[in-house]
Formats: sequence, structure tokens, C-alpha cells
Amino acid sequence: MKKSVYEIASLGMMLAIIEVAKRSLEFIPNVEIVTLLFILFALHFGKKVILVALAFTGVESMVWGINTWNVMYLYIWPLLILIVDLTRKHASYWFYCFLSAFYGLFFGALCSIPYFFIGGLVTQFTWWVAGIPYDVLHGISNFILCLVLFKPLDFALTKVRQSAQNL
Amino acid sequence: MKKSTKIIIAAVAVVAIIAIFCGVYFANRPQAQAGTKAYTVEVKDQDGNVKSYSGKTDAEFLRGLMDELAAAGDFSYTGSDGDYGLYIESVNGITADYNTDGAYWSIYVNGEYGMYGADQQPVADGDTFTFAYEVYVAE
Repeated sequence: MKKSVYEIASLGMMLAIIEVAKRSLEFIPNVEIVTLLFILFALHFGKKVILVALAFTGVESMVWGINTWNVMYLYIWPLLILIVDLTRKHASYWFYCFLSAFYGLFFGALCSIPYFFIGGLVTQFTWWVAGIPYDVLHGISNFILCLVLFKPLDFALTKVRQSAQNL
Repeated sequence: MKKSTKIIIAAVAVVAIIAIFCGVYFANRPQAQAGTKAYTVEVKDQDGNVKSYSGKTDAEFLRGLMDELAAAGDFSYTGSDGDYGLYIESVNGITADYNTDGAYWSIYVNGEYGMYGADQQPVADGDTFTFAYEVYVAE
């Protein structure tokens, strides 16, 4: 199989997995597995996962419409992928658990950036403060999900990559 | 540095950040204002027609004021309580169904898009609250 075909197929599969995973946990506010999946995908497939993040934003925009959060998604997920890609040499299981926790805790702060340009610092701060209880829940749940699921998912992705090398 | 020491430092950092965030939240969260307050409530329907209500209330949060107005008889609303608070489904008998046509009820506070739901939005003296029927239109 040509490498480009494999890459396009794998990017499509990653997008599908992330979209399904997001939908499956939407009934619990601010509990999501998207952060963990982007970390794992970036760890195994590198910076090209940014394309998945952009496609994910596109799919979510088609489902939920265009609003300020579309802008947030355009930099939040690529930023996470870049962090994982740049730190992979020194990172460990625990690093990713705490990265997940910090990303959840600061998710609201990162998302509030567009509000600085919309209404200034006060609007940005007020918007961030309103969401702090959800950010705390987000950080704790991200940590627990990574703690429990990182190793089995990492193992599964390693197997997938090994089998792909035989194609 | 030992691996266990790094983990402990990271765990302490997470707890410290949660503590700081909670402090910031409780110092800056919307504060209810006791006593009698003047208010204006506007309902802007899908055609842009505006119906206004003015008066004084002891309600501390917008939902309390909505309940007072509903009890008075000339205002009505329906909604569902979710994890993020009250989701307004209809105002004055006009239903906004996002799943059907992308319609929803927005809350504006003194002309600015509201940051909180009706349960959390404090009522301050002289506030104007606008319930606006809005429709998301795909680009």
C-alpha cells in the first residue's frame, strides 16, 4: 500500500474515532476523551495530527454551527499536539497524565482569548471566571481518564503501527 | 531528581492551581444583591417585536424575577434544568427549537450578551434583561 493512501486512511480513522468518542461522552458536561486521544495520536503519528484537529473543527462546525468556539478549537487542539510533539523525548506516562490535567484546568483560560478581542480584558476575565467550576471538573476528569486509559490505548496504537509497517 | 519527587511536585501544582482557581471564582463570581431593585425585562420575538416589563423586585437572580413575572400573569416561560442550569425553551408561548431550525433564546444583560444562565445571573438595581429569539444560520 502506498504510504500516502495509508496516511490519508489513518487520518480519517483518527478523525472518526475522535468524533465518536466526543459524542459518546457529551452527556457528561466537561468530561471528554478528546484531549487524551489527541495526546496519543500526536505521540504515535506526530505533527500531521494537526490536520485531524482542523478536520475535527470542521466536522464540529457542521454539526453545531459557527460561533466563537470554532476559533478556539482552531488553536487549542493544534497547540496540544505541538506540545506533545515537542516534549516526546522527555515525556512519560505521568507527564501525559498531568498534561491532561493542566490542559483541562486551563481549557477555559485558553478558550477565553477570543473574548479579549471581542470585549476586552474584563469580558475575557468574566467569561473565564464563569467557567472555572467546569474547568476544575475538566482537569480532574482528564487526569483520571488518562490515568486509566493511557496505557491500554497506547498499547493498542503501538500494535496498530506495528501491523501497518507490514503493509 | 527522582521520578516520585517529580510526580509529587506535579500533583501539588495541580492541587495549588485548583485552590487558586476556586479562590478567584469565589472572589469574582456573580454576587446576589439583596433588597428591592428596579428592573426592565424585554422579550424580543422572531419578528423583532419587543414587549417590555418594568418594575421592582426582591429577586436576587434572573430566574426568580422570571418566576415573579410569570406569577403576575403577563409573562410565561418554559425550560428544562440541565447540568448548565436552566435552558429556556419558550418565552411568552414562542418556542425556540434548535434541533428543528437552529432557533434559541438568548439572554442579554444591559445590551451585552449574557455570561450566565438565568439561574446564575444576578439582578442588580436598574438592570435590563432581554430575552431574544435568535436563529443560527449556517454560513
